[in-house]
Amino acid sequence: MSLIEPTPPSAPAASAPAASALVPAGASPAGPAWRRTFAEAAVIAASAGLVALAVNAFRPAGLPLVAPEPYEVLVPCPEPGGPVAPVEPSDSSLRGPRVFLVDARDPGAYRRGHVPGAVNVPYDWLDPLPQAALHELARRIAASGATRVVVYGDGGRPDSGEHLGREISGRGIRNVGYVRGGAPALVPGGAS
Amino acid sequence: MSRHAIAAWLALPARWYLGGLFVLASLHKIAVPHDFAIDVATYGILPLALVNPVAIVLPWVELVAGLMLLLGARVRAAALLVAAMVAVFLAALVIALARGLDMSCGCFASQGAESDPISWLTVVRDLAWLGLSVLVLCCDRGFLGFDGYQKWKGAHA
Repeated sequence: MSLIEPTPPSAPAASAPAASALVPAGASPAGPAWRRTFAEAAVIAASAGLVALAVNAFRPAGLPLVAPEPYEVLVPCPEPGGPVAPVEPSDSSLRGPRVFLVDARDPGAYRRGHVPGAVNVPYDWLDPLPQAALHELARRIAASGATRVVVYGDGGRPDSGEHLGREISGRGIRNVGYVRGGAPALVPGGAS
Repeated sequence: MSRHAIAAWLALPARWYLGGLFVLASLHKIAVPHDFAIDVATYGILPLALVNPVAIVLPWVELVAGLMLLLGARVRAAALLVAAMVAVFLAALVIALARGLDMSCGCFASQGAESDPISWLTVVRDLAWLGLSVLVLCCDRGFLGFDGYQKWKGAHA
């Protein structure tokens, strides 16, 4: 099976098989041998391509040569996310002065009941937290003198508190945790 | 045993590994070209007019190059094709990762982003494959293959 006509004997590098066997592969004079390799690769690729097109033309599952309309590509949006540590609702440090509490639920749920001192930053499942809101949150955390931020959400699956925690952690706020079980585990009637 | 001989013997398992890998990688893409076309489109690099031609032709080039490596026929040309394909895959992967796409690699069966996500580990894996294909390209002497048989026949003619 010869894909390419053999090089004439006058060409030194692509010489007879017995001679090339004595020269370490890759160490032979580069020019003609590499040209021959490239040419063979092109012929192999072209042959495979022709077979592919022929098979595609005759098979029921074949594709049209040009897609009539764009493919529906579903790629999840990249979500910035940082590390968050789970915190048990019974953790006594939650009520301490060094903890800044964030309520990730919607404003209605927050008004119905929240942990004293918690700041409401509603988590939006579709859109990231606006930059201005993030800056305001960071400013309030810094002003509070807290060393730890703990977020609680609706306690659902997925939990809005955990997600907001990941988001603000990924956007530069450090030492963030979330309350396992969310508001229902912390606030009487928090499930509403 | 000389350094060249050792490299030539190391190239043999590398050749078989790459050959098997590319044959395996091509099978699902050939069987279900529509899935592979979606994978190609997901990278968002090629214009729509080129998505289907690439999805049709590329798996067959993988299959033929893989079979030639397994059989040891025209090894350098097949290894060159494999190296070129891996280099293209690497470039596509890096572009997708730089764009932050959370998607399937599309290297083998289309499994979805959850079970076969692209990552920098995928890049490292492809770099290793590129290294193996360069080893085969430069060092393989056709042992236990069609090329070696041709050389042996030529030497004993």
